[in-house]
Amino acid sequence: MSEVHANGLRFHVQRLSPPADRPILRTPVVFLHGLVLDNLSSFYYTLAAPVARAGAEVVLYDQRGHGRTERPRDGYDPGSSVADLVALLDACGVATPVHLVGNSFGGLIALRVARSRPDLVASLVLIEGQCLDVAADTEPYAGGWVEEMANTLNLAALGLAAHPGPERLPAGPARKAARLRAGADALLNGTTLIEDVTLPCAPTEAELAEVTCPVLALYGELSELAPSARRLAEVLPQCTLTVLPGVAHTVLREATAPVLAALLDWLPRHEPVAVRPGAGR
Amino acid sequence: MSADPHADRILAEVAGMLAEIVGEELLIAAEITPDSGFDDDLALESIEFVALAGRLQERYGDRVDFIAFLADLEIEEIMAMTVGRLVEHIAACTRAEAVGGAGR
Repeated sequence: MSEVHANGLRFHVQRLSPPADRPILRTPVVFLHGLVLDNLSSFYYTLAAPVARAGAEVVLYDQRGHGRTERPRDGYDPGSSVADLVALLDACGVATPVHLVGNSFGGLIALRVARSRPDLVASLVLIEGQCLDVAADTEPYAGGWVEEMANTLNLAALGLAAHPGPERLPAGPARKAARLRAGADALLNGTTLIEDVTLPCAPTEAELAEVTCPVLALYGELSELAPSARRLAEVLPQCTLTVLPGVAHTVLREATAPVLAALLDWLPRHEPVAVRPGAGR
Repeated sequence: MSADPHADRILAEVAGMLAEIVGEELLIAAEITPDSGFDDDLALESIEFVALAGRLQERYGDRVDFIAFLADLEIEEIMAMTVGRLVEHIAACTRAEAVGGAGR
């Protein structure tokens, strides 16, 4: 069942189940990917299979407008993304709290779910998750990640509009780049995504203080989000921050092994307590 | 591989699934051979390979352990794979079961 209808949209969902002979982790793990060029494949090829093999039920989906999920014209704001997730979990029959693993913008959505629907969340794992809008000292402008993201997305949108791609997709190796380009163009120039994700976006410190579940925060030493992450760890009631040396925002891709190790260490330590092994399911 | 009807059947199924996933823009099912590379020849996007793996999992269920298969490979290795290698893996898993399930 790779197509799931939820919140009025057709979502591309992939679920991986643990092998029958493994100790079962009772809390499902749900992965939330990042914006525009990202989709569930970045988790599918890195963390998802090892997590399933370690004993957890895994749910991955392409968020609205991304990957193989439908691309409506609007509804890309974090609130709608939370509504998508809640509806999707319901449609998938997931009835227990889950671990939410969010990469980049997926981390922002995860934080929002933890605040607005704490009953659904056992823990958060933020991989370079966008959070507090703290400006880095090294940047040449006053804004934090919200301004930088808005600039990047608007610049990309202008570039894509100014240089239209071929009418028909080419065959062979050029096809992949052309498809990627067409997808980004449709999302940035054909939907309300840019205004939706940049206008209302960053949570305040007071809002983050309401996130009561345990949070594992994994950030790159060289990321522009590093100052946000340090402040996040001070503001969140239960936060474990790990800074990965030598990498920037692309932690998931470039530091896959340490991220996976941290996740596999985290999950069994954040299971619901007082359950005999094998008593569930 | 053409001397192996079991693998040929799986190849035809994989080719049919690829045509459904990618659509008519690129693929004519008959052009997909065991030597076709997912990346080099078919220019499959990584999300399209995910969709293929999902369909194969639905089709073959627990007989083919795609989780273990994929967990042992880097993304570059997955995309550099040929259709034939994937077919061989499925054929080996399903053949072992057909003769008594002694595998894995």
